[in-house]
Amino acid sequence: MPQQLAIIVLVDVSNALASSTLEGNTYLFDNMKLHGSVNQGTGELVTAINGSYWRDGSQASEQVLNWLPYSLGSIPPTVPRGYEVERARQTDEDALAELQELAAKSTVPSADAEAELNRIRRNVGTRVKTTRRTRGRMSGQKIVDVMGQVVTEDATAAASYPAPVITDIYGEAVDSKIMYPAEYGSPDMVTDGWYWSATVDTSRPGTYSYMMRIQLHKLVQTNGELRWDPVNLTCASALKITSEPRRNAFTKAGVGQLPIPATRPGRDA
Amino acid sequence: MTTKPRREAAVKRPISITAVVDAVGALAAGNMHGHLYMYDTNKSGGSTGFGTEELQTKARRGDQILWNCLALECEAFVAIDDIIIDRDICEPVRKVYPGTDVAYWTGTVKKDAGPITYQIKFRLGTRDEPITTTLSSSLVG
Repeated sequence: MPQQLAIIVLVDVSNALASSTLEGNTYLFDNMKLHGSVNQGTGELVTAINGSYWRDGSQASEQVLNWLPYSLGSIPPTVPRGYEVERARQTDEDALAELQELAAKSTVPSADAEAELNRIRRNVGTRVKTTRRTRGRMSGQKIVDVMGQVVTEDATAAASYPAPVITDIYGEAVDSKIMYPAEYGSPDMVTDGWYWSATVDTSRPGTYSYMMRIQLHKLVQTNGELRWDPVNLTCASALKITSEPRRNAFTKAGVGQLPIPATRPGRDA
Repeated sequence: MTTKPRREAAVKRPISITAVVDAVGALAAGNMHGHLYMYDTNKSGGSTGFGTEELQTKARRGDQILWNCLALECEAFVAIDDIIIDRDICEPVRKVYPGTDVAYWTGTVKKDAGPITYQIKFRLGTRDEPITTTLSSSLVG
């Protein structure tokens, strides 16, 4: 089995939501630059997939691809999974401690106490409403800004967007049975436990396009309550499958055949 | 039922600059050239040079800038070690996300100026010495 390949889908969520398109707001990367992938870091990535074969010409194995969607200008994917939940809990605890302190030192209401309460209210942030539809990943969480601080309702312009979610991979490469994508669950910390992966049939060279359906989330206010509304957009990419033999990274022997002896060592010698 | 997008309050979103680093490529070459892709969130404001080492971020006095980085391979270690920029224009400081050891760099643009170039020092993998960018990105007033 060759090394699995990762395709990073970096989305400028704010701009994509503002312009209602992923075009020009999505940047794609893979780790196959040395194998011929082109347009790294743009929306026009063509992922190179080199077929691998045994000496008799039969296919050695298929290629495995993984997609990782990230949000540009949000809290990075390197913070622990469920970070918003952790921040919500921590700020609740802080606010409770501050309230206890306030209650202990002031028995009569005063302007000072009111100012203090307002300060605590600011520090405790605002929660996103949970509906039956939005229960799960982002429900009940507080709004966290791009620096990891919780924010109140009037300051949500600085909110950190949730990472984009790939909800489907389809198109020519799938229809032609070149790749077989599916969503998998794993304890992977970086991708929130769910990721799209595909096996690619490397025996049919050619360039095949595919589409990704990507869900972004927009913070909206409904009847005075905040929630993350899903916005579904699509984004195109392509695979270029070649049947050239792999380049040998150790001997740097070029793209020609590897120096394999015609007969196995120890036989017919 | 009324549904409306959140009004943009006085609070402004910082301009986030993200450096995507091909850590393996940069470590193999010993430099960042061709292994760095820079982006920011101010495309609609006029930033240019997306996906190159020479990102030109449109930023004015009072704008808050936030730098972070992303490794192209999620297993690789990549961190910003320093940002070399005219301290009279912007003074970036390293901060961490509360309760984590994940760092970001942030600073406020102190005054409007022509293009101010800056370089970033990256720590990659287990290499002792940071690698500094060869081409510079800039803040454009």
